[in-house]
Amino acid sequence: MIFGRFKIEPRLEPKLSWQIVSILLAVMMSAIVCAIMLNSAGVDVGKAFYLIFEGAFGTWKAVIKTLVKATPLILTGLAVTVAFRAKIWNIGAEGQLFAGAITSYWAYTMFQGAPSFILIVMVILSASIGGALYGGLAGYLKAKFSVNEVLSTVMLNYIIRYVLSFLLISGPWRDPSSFYQQSSRIIQAAKYPMLFGISRLHMGFAIALVLALVVYLFLTRTSLGYEIRSIGFNPKASRFKGINVDRTIIIVMMISGGIAGLAGAGELFGVHYRLKPDISHGFGFLGIIIAMLAALHPFGVILAATLFGGLVNGGIRLQVFTGIPTAMISSIQAIILLFFLTAAVLTRFEIRRVKANE
Amino acid sequence: MEASIRTVNLTKKFHQVVANDAVSFDVLPGEIHCLLGENGAGKSTLAECLYGFYKPDKGQIFIDGKEVDISSPAEAIGYGIGMVHQHFVLVSSLSVLENIVVGTKSQGLLLDLRAAEKKIKSLCDYYNVELDLHAKVWQLPVGQQQWVEILKTLYVGAQILILDEPTAVLTPEESKMLFKILQLMTDDNMSVILISHKLNEVLQSDRVTILRKGKKVATVTTAESSKEELTSKMVGREINATLEKKPMKAGKHFLAIKNLKAKNDRGQEALKGFDLTVRTGEIVGIAGVAGNGQKELFETLIGVRKATEGEIYLNGVDIVNRDPKYIQKLGVAFIPEDRFAEGLVSDFTVEENLILGNHCDKKFKKNGFLNFKEILVFAKECINKFDIQTPSEKTLTRTLSGGNAQKVIVAREFAQNAQLTLANQPSRGLDVGVIEYMHQMLLKKRDEKGGILMASEDLEELFNIADTIVVMHDGQIMGSFPVAEADINTIGLLMAGHADQPGPSQQVDT
Repeated sequence: MIFGRFKIEPRLEPKLSWQIVSILLAVMMSAIVCAIMLNSAGVDVGKAFYLIFEGAFGTWKAVIKTLVKATPLILTGLAVTVAFRAKIWNIGAEGQLFAGAITSYWAYTMFQGAPSFILIVMVILSASIGGALYGGLAGYLKAKFSVNEVLSTVMLNYIIRYVLSFLLISGPWRDPSSFYQQSSRIIQAAKYPMLFGISRLHMGFAIALVLALVVYLFLTRTSLGYEIRSIGFNPKASRFKGINVDRTIIIVMMISGGIAGLAGAGELFGVHYRLKPDISHGFGFLGIIIAMLAALHPFGVILAATLFGGLVNGGIRLQVFTGIPTAMISSIQAIILLFFLTAAVLTRFEIRRVKANE
Repeated sequence: MEASIRTVNLTKKFHQVVANDAVSFDVLPGEIHCLLGENGAGKSTLAECLYGFYKPDKGQIFIDGKEVDISSPAEAIGYGIGMVHQHFVLVSSLSVLENIVVGTKSQGLLLDLRAAEKKIKSLCDYYNVELDLHAKVWQLPVGQQQWVEILKTLYVGAQILILDEPTAVLTPEESKMLFKILQLMTDDNMSVILISHKLNEVLQSDRVTILRKGKKVATVTTAESSKEELTSKMVGREINATLEKKPMKAGKHFLAIKNLKAKNDRGQEALKGFDLTVRTGEIVGIAGVAGNGQKELFETLIGVRKATEGEIYLNGVDIVNRDPKYIQKLGVAFIPEDRFAEGLVSDFTVEENLILGNHCDKKFKKNGFLNFKEILVFAKECINKFDIQTPSEKTLTRTLSGGNAQKVIVAREFAQNAQLTLANQPSRGLDVGVIEYMHQMLLKKRDEKGGILMASEDLEELFNIADTIVVMHDGQIMGSFPVAEADINTIGLLMAGHADQPGPSQQVDT
């Protein structure tokens, strides 16, 4: 592409220094645009940025809240990362999250009488199995019938939400003592223990960190991880060399769905203590953004999810103290995300000055 | 005589790569001038500069003695330069007439093709070519499609015609026809620039300019030169033209294909009852223009494509429609036609590509995880043994040259110690040095009692290394000949589909 005296060409190999520069540029540009927007709304820009930072990482309590907010995002980010590495576009992490929440709640009802340890283990297991089956369904449809996974996972998202509504409104899990669409509160024994006794920092966070390490080792050091990357890069050559692409697609979707299912259990048993639609505010979709910001790297997912969790908390504090409308808070988050995503893409191109006789 | 087109110190760079380095050459009216060179020598880049597709960084271009600045193909066409690329740019669903006329200034608001039709018909008559102008392009054989490409240039008055590897897709018969037409053109004082690496054709030109690594090595008068001289100038060293080939010591038939039928990606029959056998210690070469079912044949043999009918016996075991992993384990190696799309995962490192297909083997595993140490040892061995030019085993394979990428595939496949080695167009696009090396390796395998089945468009290659040549056309075997009894004219005719040629045919035993 040529613009006047400049030309945009794909870069041969993205340089690390450029990537860092582009991230800093993204920070700067988003700060400028947000400042302009806040200023035009009559908000003191400096105070606004300070409040965001305070809400995100300002106090010890804020940091804990940020980590708790980041937990489901790490998990859905990992879920999407595994699938996207195979170039399987799993847009259904949200639905798989709920599938996991539903099956884990079911396990809760089955094992309520058991000792806390057993109960929680069963909860975690069934969350991953539920999510895995739900993700695996989309994988099977893709492998066997070439159903486009974008379409199937999005539709499955809706289906599971309606299943959830049924279970909580006219179905067996309705909380008899309230009008809201929710289950009754879970018993104490089922609640995720708090890490190091720190209030709010539930076990889900540790699970998320451990899982990030597991996914990293899995993708880079196992032969199945090798196959996943192989079919993501070149399914044809993979098939030519004996890799069973169809089987791998199903396995990938099961792993992806299983991890997303754990996110559902975490929010249920670690934060809300009830099964309800609110346990996720689009975490499955945010997972996609986080996975892409992290360039599909498990450790990058931890970083991106934490930063985003901080952004959410910062936004809350900003709203509480300045009263600016929620839409503006969402806009700030969106602007920051857009600039970061743009930076991620731009590092793959370069601008060259076109010489006079070229 | 003033040159019809001349370059002086033409230089073109891409990032840090100097594709053309101060190249000065000229083409006279009425001559066929060849640009000869290996891959990466700069022939296509030079041609694209003349055609206005690239703008040179330095240097000048003169047309009929006047300096010109060609900044687009449209301008090149205005100067009378026409180009036929290796990959045609025709619209298959439109007719010949429409393809030639599209984009030209001869049409006003309303489409009036009658005048155009007359003009084109007279061109066809002049060059003695029969062509139905209303046929849709997809219905035409490749040779005629190429003629349509040439007509496109003649229609807008080209006086200088550039052809990029024109005979790569033609049968020997079609190539002969093409050269007849080129001769008629030069008799009319047109200039023809022919980009080629096929020495047989280059020898039919008037002059040859040899390029190597971006620089011009020399311009020679063809009549005063020789194949050996041209090759050594092209490569930069003496090439041992004759390959050492020991007499064949063939054993039993261990691969037998019977009445194999399969469909192509469009659902049409590509293999229409294919029969063939290979013996241990034998190289069977399949001659034929690509697109006659070779791709489908190999894909069916390795298990990636479904056979609709027929049998494939490997050492008595029926492997038809088994999965690729099973067939690979039985001892079949495969070098596919498209290096980067089918043979390698370009975004993997050289190391990772070398274990592709064997990544689950016990020797590459330790405690359930990949054993990186063993993999590294194996990779270094392969790189050494096959002289793969790469900065490191951790380099991304897509940065490798075509020749080195092919070496990675060959290294990987040969490491299988497979009994049967399949190869589809293994030398396509490779430099003379790499081809020489690969032929040596194939012959070695054959001397070690392996069986090799390879398809190639390059008849010379097959005559050099194959023991048996079979001709494939339209999904079937047209004939089979021990190489000593094979006659290039007969084979050429069979390649074009003319059956009933004299010659022995093959018995199929299991």
